Amino acid sequence: MNYERELLKGNTDSLLLCLINHQPMYGYQIIKELGKRSNGYFQFKEGTIYPALHRLEKAGLIQGKWQRLPSGQERRYYYITQKGQKALAERLTVWQDFATAVALIMQPATG
Amino acid sequence: MPTKLNYTDSLKDYLRLDPTIEGNVVRELNTHLEDKSHELIESGLSEEEATATAAKLLGSPRIVSKQMYEVYSQGSWRQALFAALPHLLVAALFAMHFWQNTFWLVGMLGAITGAVIYGWCHGKPAWLFPWLGYCLIPVIAVGILLIYLPGGWVWFAATAYVPLALLVIFSVTKQTIRKDWLFASLMLLPIPIVLGWMLALELEDKLIWQEQLFEFASLIALSFAVLALTVVTFIRIRQRWAKVGALLTLEVLTLVMIGLGGKSAIGFGGWLILALLALLLLLGPALLERKIREADRKPLKLSNKSTR
Repeated sequence: MNYERELLKGNTDSLLLCLINHQPMYGYQIIKELGKRSNGYFQFKEGTIYPALHRLEKAGLIQGKWQRLPSGQERRYYYITQKGQKALAERLTVWQDFATAVALIMQPATG
Repeated sequence: MPTKLNYTDSLKDYLRLDPTIEGNVVRELNTHLEDKSHELIESGLSEEEATATAAKLLGSPRIVSKQMYEVYSQGSWRQALFAALPHLLVAALFAMHFWQNTFWLVGMLGAITGAVIYGWCHGKPAWLFPWLGYCLIPVIAVGILLIYLPGGWVWFAATAYVPLALLVIFSVTKQTIRKDWLFASLMLLPIPIVLGWMLALELEDKLIWQEQLFEFASLIALSFAVLALTVVTFIRIRQRWAKVGALLTLEVLTLVMIGLGGKSAIGFGGWLILALLALLLLLGPALLERKIREADRKPLKLSNKSTR
């Protein structure tokens, strides 16, 4: 379980950037979307998402803006910045290279 | 919804951030609690149960606040250097034997006053507090000088000046504690050092004092350079416990330098009193903060009761 937690911890920022890059979202929506898109695999402790979002915002990778919903309630939507898009592209390249290399070693040889 | 209110109150207690950031964080977590409660009510829970469950699922306010604090608590290198600048100026004052140079002294006083007024009017950022500490030092230094003056000055000092000076220092410290008790500790950091050097250099004899000032100028400069290092470390570290550790360790190191310098004029007993004073000034604000918050909450509780 520790290994899984460490893997998730190391990739939380990339997962958040990826989701926000797809469309601007607010905290609760991000938590729901992470669970839905991973078929329930990613069950984040709800309170840990917000410090991660604020860390990304402080680093200039995303930007939070208060917006009014049609219901009249206000939510803080996060938008990806240009710096964030660049960081995400770099992370995706690293991740793909890493995943390919791990698969080459870990998958049983065929043929 | 008492649980939501309790959660928000606890969050505010632990956050200790810039008011704008703090307001955003609390508001954002409140919207999360609203969404989650709404979802739980739709799944069949009562409003009270839903609110309690939503707060529980969000996690301990202490842990959320701690993580949020660590996001914002680290200042930039520029902020760290600006915060350390008053200590560096004092270190330069002694390293270059400038304490009799009027131009340098007036320049320093101008810089301190300007930085304090600017910082005080611009949201009291972390770099302000070391500068603010140097505004308090002349108040203390004048009190000590009055005690050493002949004639009726001692009585004037004891009955009028010292109580008034203490009132001013307490009032500024209290306002700083309301922001964060650690900033008050940072502000009061140089007081035991200045006091220690004044006592170690045998203030009552002007001739010896001048001689010793020349003799120990480099050590005095070094002690203020250590204070500058303390401030830089404090600003750059994220974790609160590490900030407290840095303040305590480097302050004790500076006091050891005073103990070894000044030809031990203060003696071991005097040094021990200085060390206790340093401990009181560094950790006392934490106790005061608790008292201030308890006092602030009382009228709030009373108004809540009266509205029910």
